[in-house]
Amino acid sequence: METQVLYNITHQETFGLFIAIYFYLTGLSAGSFILSTLSYGFGMEQYKPLGKVGVVLATVLLIFAPLFLLFHIGAPYRAWHLFVYLNWSSPITWGSFLLVLYPINCIIYGIFMFKGNLKLTRLFGFIGIPLAISVHGYTGFILAFGKARALWNTAIMPILFLASAIVSGIALMILVCLIIGRFFSKEKTINKDLIFSLSKLLAWMIVFDLFLVGSDLLVLSISHSDAQAAFHLLLGGNFSFLFLVVENVLGKILPFILLVVPRFRNLVTVTIASILVVVGIFFMRYVVVLAGEFIPLL
Amino acid sequence: MSNKSKKYAMLFDLRKCIGCNTCSIVCKSENDVPLSVWRAWVKKIEKGHYPHVREFSLPIVCNNCEDPICVTVCPVNAGIKRPDGIVYIDPHRCIGCRYCMASCPYGVRYINPRKKIAEKCYWCHHRVDAGLMPACVVTCPTGAILFGDLNDPESEIAQVIAKNAVHVIKPEMGTSPQTYYIGLDIESVEAVEEEK
Repeated sequence: METQVLYNITHQETFGLFIAIYFYLTGLSAGSFILSTLSYGFGMEQYKPLGKVGVVLATVLLIFAPLFLLFHIGAPYRAWHLFVYLNWSSPITWGSFLLVLYPINCIIYGIFMFKGNLKLTRLFGFIGIPLAISVHGYTGFILAFGKARALWNTAIMPILFLASAIVSGIALMILVCLIIGRFFSKEKTINKDLIFSLSKLLAWMIVFDLFLVGSDLLVLSISHSDAQAAFHLLLGGNFSFLFLVVENVLGKILPFILLVVPRFRNLVTVTIASILVVVGIFFMRYVVVLAGEFIPLL
Repeated sequence: MSNKSKKYAMLFDLRKCIGCNTCSIVCKSENDVPLSVWRAWVKKIEKGHYPHVREFSLPIVCNNCEDPICVTVCPVNAGIKRPDGIVYIDPHRCIGCRYCMASCPYGVRYINPRKKIAEKCYWCHHRVDAGLMPACVVTCPTGAILFGDLNDPESEIAQVIAKNAVHVIKPEMGTSPQTYYIGLDIESVEAVEEEK
């Protein structure tokens, strides 16, 4: 039946760019923290140089991230309501506590690490891992609980967010290690073994992330009508360039090729691949948040 | 004033609706709704090929769902469901995080551009508590809108809902909407504007 909308009101934007930036920063922070615990928590000695860098990055990023929430909400001077009027069925309430506990734990963990108290560092590292997973995983639940939006309302959303958090965390860590090694270390040399072992890790996390994105898309394509509309929006609509080209080809597939083909493996390609991944994951957040609310509901 | 034994509901008889937008306008003046946002509006679609066309109107207000997702996800308990079924927002508690807007399947919530907090239709509970009908119900020129207590078998709305085929918007969302429609057209719910 040929139907035309003659009149309807325009709906306001719900979650915008600020929320996408917030998700991106918490993802980077959680990814950095998990990398930092690889040596200090799990005893993988080859990742020892990441410990201190990781915890500083995780703390700094997580201190900036909630600022974007304050920019986003309409009445920031009422933000204390989040800690007083609790609603445990809302992921934002979980998050308001995670966003306090996680940075505090990061700081304690960092202090013990810099003081050289390995036993307590290990303890707070292990406390921090579930916190880091929750502090980013809960943002996936925020979107998944938005049940009106087909693109958000999938159980894969938290794990998809975690996978992309680790991908972006590793890529950021590679970049930071390169910069520190090149300009700020005493020897002015780059720890190549570390970079290449991180880049291998990055490549396989990208594969996992691509698998999750692919399975999300496949299920969307045969699910109910709203989900199909979201599928077409991503693959052929307004977000297709950002989703296909920027997020997936430039942000995942090209870096994966650069990282795994032995002929390409050198510091320049690793740098390019990491920059592409860091930018690509930002657009992943952007596309998920904005494409999810792009299709009007009524 | 809310009464546990009551269960309010609203009914739009689309056979009587002429799409005149009186409900939209009276709602604006009754509830002091700012420019650019609406608590009640009339979506209009056109179906068919010329000359066999018809315009359909769909007046939309908040469904005041029995199982409201906006109340479930509100992080500060600003969304409150009264025992009589009316869902309202505590204006002193809302922080304007927009989560309720993001999760509402009906898009009836908006951020007040002046107060920066979420607002929506709450069936004029200030009038209902005073024993009056909501503003849109009293002003509808064709009497297409009914409001009343479903638990009272003598009320007009309970009888009309009992005797007619009624429908709600998007029942698949599992929110149990309490705004009923007679003659609801599926196209007028599903049609959305072309992407620009």
